[in-house]
Amino acid sequence: MTYWRAVDPFPLQSADHTKLAEFYARLGQGRLSTTRCAGCGRLAWPPRAFCGDCCADRFEWVDLSGEGAIQAFTVQETGLPAGFPGPRVFAIVAVDGLRIFTVILNGEAGRVAVGQRVRLRPLRVADGPTGEPRWLPAFAPA
Amino acid sequence: MSASRGVALVGAGVCKFGVRRASFRELIWEAGKACFDAVPGLRPRDLEGLVVGSVLPERTAFQSHIASLAAEALGIRPSALSARTEHMCASGTVGIRYAYAFIAAGLADLVMVLGVEKLNQPSGEEAILNMGTGVDREWEAAFGLTAPPCFALAAQRHMMRYGTTEEQLALVGVKNHTHAARNPNAHFQKGATLDQVLCSRMISSPLRLFMCSPITDGAAAVVLASAERARDLTDRPVWIRGTGQALDGFQLSSLPDDLARWPALERAAQAAYRMAGVGPRDVDVAEVHDCFAIAELIAYEELGFCDQGEAGPFIAARRSDDGGDVVVNPRGGLIGCGHPLGATGVAQAAEIFLQLRGQAGPRQVPDAAIGLTHNNSGMGEHVVMIYGREPA
Repeated sequence: MTYWRAVDPFPLQSADHTKLAEFYARLGQGRLSTTRCAGCGRLAWPPRAFCGDCCADRFEWVDLSGEGAIQAFTVQETGLPAGFPGPRVFAIVAVDGLRIFTVILNGEAGRVAVGQRVRLRPLRVADGPTGEPRWLPAFAPA
Repeated sequence: MSASRGVALVGAGVCKFGVRRASFRELIWEAGKACFDAVPGLRPRDLEGLVVGSVLPERTAFQSHIASLAAEALGIRPSALSARTEHMCASGTVGIRYAYAFIAAGLADLVMVLGVEKLNQPSGEEAILNMGTGVDREWEAAFGLTAPPCFALAAQRHMMRYGTTEEQLALVGVKNHTHAARNPNAHFQKGATLDQVLCSRMISSPLRLFMCSPITDGAAAVVLASAERARDLTDRPVWIRGTGQALDGFQLSSLPDDLARWPALERAAQAAYRMAGVGPRDVDVAEVHDCFAIAELIAYEELGFCDQGEAGPFIAARRSDDGGDVVVNPRGGLIGCGHPLGATGVAQAAEIFLQLRGQAGPRQVPDAAIGLTHNNSGMGEHVVMIYGREPA
């Protein structure tokens, strides 16, 4: 029974499914990137193919440093969705002036702190429908 | 902004909230029946419109096309308005705003708004996963994010910035569970002590189980009427005096830096107060969106019931409880009654309807004349309604 596809929570990341596939390709190589609007120069997070400020639909890819500091966090211990083990550290991380929502991997829950330095640690999740790897932009203590 | 015609609630009905042994359609029947029973002389075929607030029926009941399903189930034959509203947890109140606008504009005279959600299927595990569809799939839900950690981030921030304590958060749970014990339709009816709340299991720090709303099935309905039809149907209509809606952002990383401030709620409230011609001190009873304890505290501040950062002391001094400045969540709120997403905003309106008519029984706020509802979808999207015993 292939019913599980109906509850697949991960985005479809290949070029067949999204014009932002470049983000995931770079992420798989350990690079954190995003889009810069070719119209007004605004650096976006998350990457976007349309600028809500100037309405341009042209953009270029920019690599970010991949390092930042935790601005806010919480540790979820119970009540996580099926397939997501706890405890899980959710955080907002400031990277190169952007605010990125993410999870902190390998952080001992009691030792995570606001201001803590973290670094990109791409998280491999379940493969896509045609077997290609899928990645999420997670972070770990620097 | 001013409306061209007066609009009032003339009837309301709510079904028993909880983990229900009843189908999606059966919940619609129960709330519809309760609402029609409350308005003698009103028959389903008299209604010109039906708006249905519902969030997840595609995932939980494998059913879309909800407005028509509900109209047929209830014997309503819409001639002016038939629509579903989906705006996550605020779907019900957004539906009321649609019906209000239709009637105020003269496009209809009599419209039912029904909210319904059957969350506890196909399985408990999937119910929680399904709730993640309300946050951004690509950038948030894929990490396993659902609502509790979002609001936990705001709670952490409020504690850090204002010194709000875990005990003050717990008092929201104590108050709303205690209130729910007076409401036979509430999910929980055993009340709760401060110790029970503080010792309940941690969900997402600092939010413990009794500071969180549960996963609940339920439905609620109200009937809105033009002034003329309202006076035909009842001698105690409850008037819609003001309404406001505002949005700051969808993703967590799009919200203002300071998660302890919800500017969109302040803007929605100011719009509603201006339109109603009243201020926060005039509100006798309020149903606010306490999906998590921190939400109720921040709502006190953004609605103007107290100053910025003062919500902790405000609840500790019982100023939001019986006999206080404003009684907040007399039916038990989302924490005590449960939170059947699409039904919540409609159930809030139903409670204010009863309160302003003096029909709320053991939870009646004495002589309530002005009531407010606040319904949000996440931390960045807010809807406020203000109701009055007298028209504006």
